[in-house]
Amino acid sequence: MAEISFPLPDLGEGLIEATILEWIVAVGDQVERNQPLVEVETTKSAVELPSPQSGKVLRIHGEAGEKINVGEPLIVFEVPDDTAGIVGTVPEEKAPKRRVRLSAALDDED
Amino acid sequence: MSEHTTASDLDAAQDNTVETDTQQQSRENVFPSETAKTTTMSMQAALNLALSETLEDNPKTVIFGEDVGKLGGVFRITDGLQTKFGADRVFDTPLAESGILGMSVGLAMAGFHPIPEVQFDGFAYPAINQIVCQIGRMNYRSRGTMPMPITLRVPSFGGIRAPEHHGESLEALFAHVPGLKVVSPSSPHEAYHLLKHSATRPDPVIFMEPKSRYWQKGEVDLKNAGSVEGSKVVRPGKHLTLVAWGAMVARCLQVAELAAEDGIEIEVLDLRWLKPIDAGGLAASVAKTRRAVVVHEAPRTSGLGAEVAALISEQCFGTLKAPVERITGFDVPYPSGDLEDEYIPNIDRILFGIQRVLEYRRG
Repeated sequence: MAEISFPLPDLGEGLIEATILEWIVAVGDQVERNQPLVEVETTKSAVELPSPQSGKVLRIHGEAGEKINVGEPLIVFEVPDDTAGIVGTVPEEKAPKRRVRLSAALDDED
Repeated sequence: MSEHTTASDLDAAQDNTVETDTQQQSRENVFPSETAKTTTMSMQAALNLALSETLEDNPKTVIFGEDVGKLGGVFRITDGLQTKFGADRVFDTPLAESGILGMSVGLAMAGFHPIPEVQFDGFAYPAINQIVCQIGRMNYRSRGTMPMPITLRVPSFGGIRAPEHHGESLEALFAHVPGLKVVSPSSPHEAYHLLKHSATRPDPVIFMEPKSRYWQKGEVDLKNAGSVEGSKVVRPGKHLTLVAWGAMVARCLQVAELAAEDGIEIEVLDLRWLKPIDAGGLAASVAKTRRAVVVHEAPRTSGLGAEVAALISEQCFGTLKAPVERITGFDVPYPSGDLEDEYIPNIDRILFGIQRVLEYRRG
């Protein structure tokens, strides 16, 4: 298994920190991509942060009321080794589907 | 990828070995007494192993780029290499592609074999001056006294729902630059052997890794590369040749399987080397099938498909039953992830192209 750390992103233009309001997930939870992770408050607004990926929550940083600086670790996921690409998603291997069928009047040369 | 497969591990894992007919044939031609032995691994693992063995074999090899050291690369291709070989040989750089490639030029002049990584295709643009004006022509400029043994790894093409600049196909740009070689593997076996081959060449090689295929597993024959030059027929057929490279090879193999249900036997040619292109391999295949469709993700206009179509037309004009069809991306910037299924040639678009070629009649 591999670990992937998700640092607090800049939630507005030039914000430098955010305060943790409430963790929606806990250590040990299996989360899916886009599932809400945590509610944080910045000087602009309170927002729910969606998960950037699926994985098991290994560690969370900061209790309710604590401030975290942009770029510092927020949450660490455990993911299978072969899905540990950091950008994008692993394409699904699906059985090929088709709508087009071929028809050809093949001649003797074929 | 916590465990790294080594040759000795593989020796111990003979029970899982499977051999394909093609591999059997190529081995019988070259190594008649060699025992068959392959192992299953992802392209990611195959590339990691190739890099690890290259670092072992050649003390002048150095690997560097953004996040390739401590992190092991965003796709974990260099995972564990810094721990194994030290931060002098596998190290992180600032986010500055022109610097990464400029440093490669200096290291190559000083006798090293750099294997830099540009983290994504779209980030090769900031280094285009170093690639075109220095790496591509230093050997020529120095009358052969300053070769540029540089293997530039570029995670390439689309298919992983990534943001802008992370899904582009730059093969035509690279292939247009004199002095560069360009190659793209389509499978773990090709990835392992083509990378090891590239990393021992005196020429600069742009190594385009199809990032959407990093995780798919395949059989790798570590001992026997087969030919590492030119193109490769990955499925024989007699009615039409599908030409592709990188991630599109797997899709064309699916198309060939579907076409077989309709009684059409398609030959799939993995072009592999995009510069120089294996004109002879193209001609040999199309001389037999007399029809050709070329598939790529890059935009259509001035894409490498045009070069392939021209080479086929020059060599097979008399026997071609139809003009060479191109199934490609569109002449737009590579779209966001939500739209990439519409952009990348899909099975139906390829089948339509094949149908147009099959229906074509002269006069």
